[in-house]
Amino acid sequence: MHKYVLLLASALVLISCEKEVEVDLPETEPKLVVEGTIEQGQPPIVILTRTQSYFAPTDLNSIAGIFVHGAVITVSDGTTTVELDSISSEGLTEEQIQYAAELTGLDPTLLSNSGIVIYSLLDASLVGEVGKIYTLNVAGDGKTCSAVTKIPNVVPWDSTWWRLAEQDADDDSSGYIWGRLTDPDTMGNGYRHYARRFYSADPDFIEDSRFISPLGTTFNDKYLNGLTVDLFAVRGRSPYTDNSEDETAGFFLRGDSVVMKLVSMGLKEADFYMTYDNNVGSQGDIFSTPANVRGNIDGGLGIWAGWAAYYDTLVCQ
Amino acid sequence: MRPLILLSTFLFASLALHAQQTFTVSGYVNDSTSGESLIGASIFIKEIQKGVSTNTYGYYSVTLAEGSYTFITRYIGYAQQDRSIDLRADVKMNIDLKPTVTEMKQVEVVKEKRKSNTESTDMGRIDVDVQKLNTLPALLGEVDILKVIQFLPGVKSGGEGNSGFYVRGGGPDQNLILLDEATVYNASHLFGFFSVFNADAIKNLELIKGGMPANYGGRTSSVLDITMKEGNDNKFHGQGGIGLISSRFTLEGPIVNNKSSFIVSGRRTYIDVLTKPFLKDNPNFGGTGYYFYDLNAKANYRISDKDRLYLRGYFGRDVFDFGSSDPGDPKFRIPWGNTTVAARWNHVFGPKLFVNTTATFSDYQFEFNGEQSDFAFKLFSGIKDYGLKVDLSQYPNVRHSLKYGGQYIYHVYTPSTVSVSSGATDFNIDEPSKLKAHETAVYFLDEFDVTDRIRLNGGVRFTSFAQVGTFREYVLNAAGDPTGDLINYDRGQTVKTYYGLEPRLSARYRINDKSSFKASFNRNLQYVHLASFSSIALPTDVWVPSGKNVKPQVGVQYAAGYFRDFKERVFEASVEVYYKDMQNLIEYKEGAQPQDNGNTNYDANLVFGNGYSYGAEFFVKKRTGRLNGWVGYTWSKTMRKFPDLNKGEEFPSRWDRTHDVSIVASYEYNKRWTFGATFTYQTGQAVTLPVNRYWIEGRLVSEYTERNGYRMAPYHRLDVAATLLNKETKKVKDPVTGEVKEVPRKYRSSWTFGVYNAYNRKNPYFIYFANDGNLATGDFKLTAKQVSLFSILPSITWNFKF
Repeated sequence: MHKYVLLLASALVLISCEKEVEVDLPETEPKLVVEGTIEQGQPPIVILTRTQSYFAPTDLNSIAGIFVHGAVITVSDGTTTVELDSISSEGLTEEQIQYAAELTGLDPTLLSNSGIVIYSLLDASLVGEVGKIYTLNVAGDGKTCSAVTKIPNVVPWDSTWWRLAEQDADDDSSGYIWGRLTDPDTMGNGYRHYARRFYSADPDFIEDSRFISPLGTTFNDKYLNGLTVDLFAVRGRSPYTDNSEDETAGFFLRGDSVVMKLVSMGLKEADFYMTYDNNVGSQGDIFSTPANVRGNIDGGLGIWAGWAAYYDTLVCQ
Repeated sequence: MRPLILLSTFLFASLALHAQQTFTVSGYVNDSTSGESLIGASIFIKEIQKGVSTNTYGYYSVTLAEGSYTFITRYIGYAQQDRSIDLRADVKMNIDLKPTVTEMKQVEVVKEKRKSNTESTDMGRIDVDVQKLNTLPALLGEVDILKVIQFLPGVKSGGEGNSGFYVRGGGPDQNLILLDEATVYNASHLFGFFSVFNADAIKNLELIKGGMPANYGGRTSSVLDITMKEGNDNKFHGQGGIGLISSRFTLEGPIVNNKSSFIVSGRRTYIDVLTKPFLKDNPNFGGTGYYFYDLNAKANYRISDKDRLYLRGYFGRDVFDFGSSDPGDPKFRIPWGNTTVAARWNHVFGPKLFVNTTATFSDYQFEFNGEQSDFAFKLFSGIKDYGLKVDLSQYPNVRHSLKYGGQYIYHVYTPSTVSVSSGATDFNIDEPSKLKAHETAVYFLDEFDVTDRIRLNGGVRFTSFAQVGTFREYVLNAAGDPTGDLINYDRGQTVKTYYGLEPRLSARYRINDKSSFKASFNRNLQYVHLASFSSIALPTDVWVPSGKNVKPQVGVQYAAGYFRDFKERVFEASVEVYYKDMQNLIEYKEGAQPQDNGNTNYDANLVFGNGYSYGAEFFVKKRTGRLNGWVGYTWSKTMRKFPDLNKGEEFPSRWDRTHDVSIVASYEYNKRWTFGATFTYQTGQAVTLPVNRYWIEGRLVSEYTERNGYRMAPYHRLDVAATLLNKETKKVKDPVTGEVKEVPRKYRSSWTFGVYNAYNRKNPYFIYFANDGNLATGDFKLTAKQVSLFSILPSITWNFKF
């Protein structure tokens, strides 16, 4: 709601103006940041980085410099404990880069342009299983942190479909994707949905390198326990890429082929993504109180999430 | 309890001293032309060198020994009246004062009543003469009483253009705003840019920022007591104005001559009407509009010299529509506003006892209706207050002025009630329990001359607050989540009761005729709280009552001051210092969102803490002359400490401003031209900015460390205005004699030309972080952007009067 209040304020106060200012922020000790997921049937994937001063340089070297190399990361399901392999993007083939981008959600150009590291398993010695609890232990940068998560049951899409957005009477092509899901009867389910296009009618289309979730796609069953609900998805974009040319931003076009991914997770994990969406979406606007993301990492920032994913492919028509 | 005993001892001792034959003079002081009662007119009795002043209803009473006296009645803007009385029996004497001929003669914006600055026990108490505000500059020409208050020392504004005010480190919910004795919960229009008070309908405004007397209560910081005009009981009069964004009109007149009168006043903005033609064909904003309006009406009837009835109503609404002409786009309609009604009965029981009984009703509602595609979202929140209040003023003798009485309010709060539907599916959102509470208070105070030098205003207030059923409480587990179990309270069953004693004491020691020293102590309890999700006051902020977990706020203030008059009271000056301790303040948990409030207790997302504030306030005022105004400077510090915020460490409050300078000046150049200027300087606002960044899913995440740890650039601004009044007289040719004569005009009109932010200072409104470029190719850029709201803004307003 706040964003509409903001919109009102900006609509009314056409006389407002803005200028770039220098802000002098204090320096603090970097913290470990974990972005780790374990999905059913997949090995765990952990991206380990550290925090940087807000206005630290943003060139590739600086960005590459946040990745923590040489960390010891273990994942345990209670019986088996494995140490994750450190995989560097340096020296990967283009195909491997593509795969790594898909796996990590990082931009393939960024992966190939800078030497970064991710942690996963090169063999299938441990893959996610529904119902199991996974403990993560991280030692890196002279610090340690840990977290526990569980992969919940998979909640499928009952159905997915595409419908015209009807924003313009002459537009017979732009639409949103809808999905129907039935929440199980017990409280405590969190959801986040992602989409990835394989084909589009858009002549400028480049296949999505990964699943993208626009902000605001995470929710829990606090208000819809046991209900069957319809959701609609706008099309998200890869952040901070040069996509000013993307005239169909937000829409799925008639003829697009899309995989809709529905991730079920626990409440704490969903809380992370919800607070993350708010944090990313409100960088200093006056209508909300600035708030940190609430993660589940003991001793660090970020998330260790058990994901129960369901995939549904549809052709927009 | 000790202050009370002490007080009664003083009282009875002094009553015993005055056992000789005494008589009472009492009555009303009125405006001779309109019949409006004059609040705070001073009546000075020459022979004993003592004075009294009229109360909020224009009534006075003074008891004196048998003898001859001269009564000198004074009120700013009116001719002084002297009357000789040979006192041999009780006398009823109404005094009608004549307004001085030229209305604009004495443009004194802040007048002081109740004797002089150095004479009264009042500390941090200021009256504003609303009718004189038109000559001061105002944002877009909209005269706003709350914005003038912000120029007083110890009072801070809520931010650029904001009509919210923060007194001596207290929050916006700690101000008791009374419109003819009914509480106004949300005093702002247009998200805080304008206040709900239409200056045309208002007679008097009094702000008490410290040393709150015992007849006021329920808030810990300040009282803003606004009195509406009663209406002219002799003649019909109209007045109004046409401004850039709104127009207003007021009509007043007699219902029964000299017995009964009415006033109605209305105001509406027309941004929506002006922008509609431009937006109509715009696909993005075709259904967008915003307007607010308010209506004030008041009638009174003088049944006899002893009884007077008043009926008053206020109704105001803001309506914001947002939508495009396309069916697939989101659409919103957000109406909100206040309704307050008050019925008052003044009765004079005897010459020494004046009783006012008021029944009040206040209602504040906020609604949000949104829909997009098949989704529909509705939110409603509100408060209703039903109140009854009896206030007695007793004037046993010239040394004592007593007030006592009681008050009862029945509160009904509707916390955010949300309904969401998606197509045919309604989300499972419990309708939250309405929160009902009884608030009661009894008080007693005596303003008392102990010696010629020492005057005390001592009082005590006893208050209680009980939250009652019907109420449904969610049982929570250790993590704070509902277990699914409920506790149901029956209708009227007590959920939680609080009560407490609120001693109030202020004292004046007169050093000499020109200077005095004053000190005050008060303890105030506040049982209702405002919880805000954002950094500024928005209509989405929700009022919550004290209950099982929400304890009453406690405010304790110590203040001391030195007051001095210069040059025959042409100048007044004061220095005040204060320390204020605040307990049981509330805030939302870090990161709480409005949607978190459903299906759990209304207080589940709140955290509790304490605060303190201290400061020094310097004030110099030039009261009279063609050039008048004031300079104020405040140095202060306001901190908060919440175990669950900022890692439990102390942090500056949002309205902590170390330095605050205000200058207000008005200059009457001639009978037609008056110039006004205001200047303000404040230390930059404390805001929370991210210190570090990190990346998740390829997006930039901000890490905040210190709450309100960063200061924006200082805020300063100069506003100027010029008012041109039309000629007082016009030339008329006598049709018979052909002689040309000057006759007074029936219609008076004036133009006010204003410039807001005259030197175009880019004051910070907020800072946000913007990004640009492609991260993967290394040309990504992060910048801090400061948004400024109002650059230099001219305005023009035409006002008329007949």
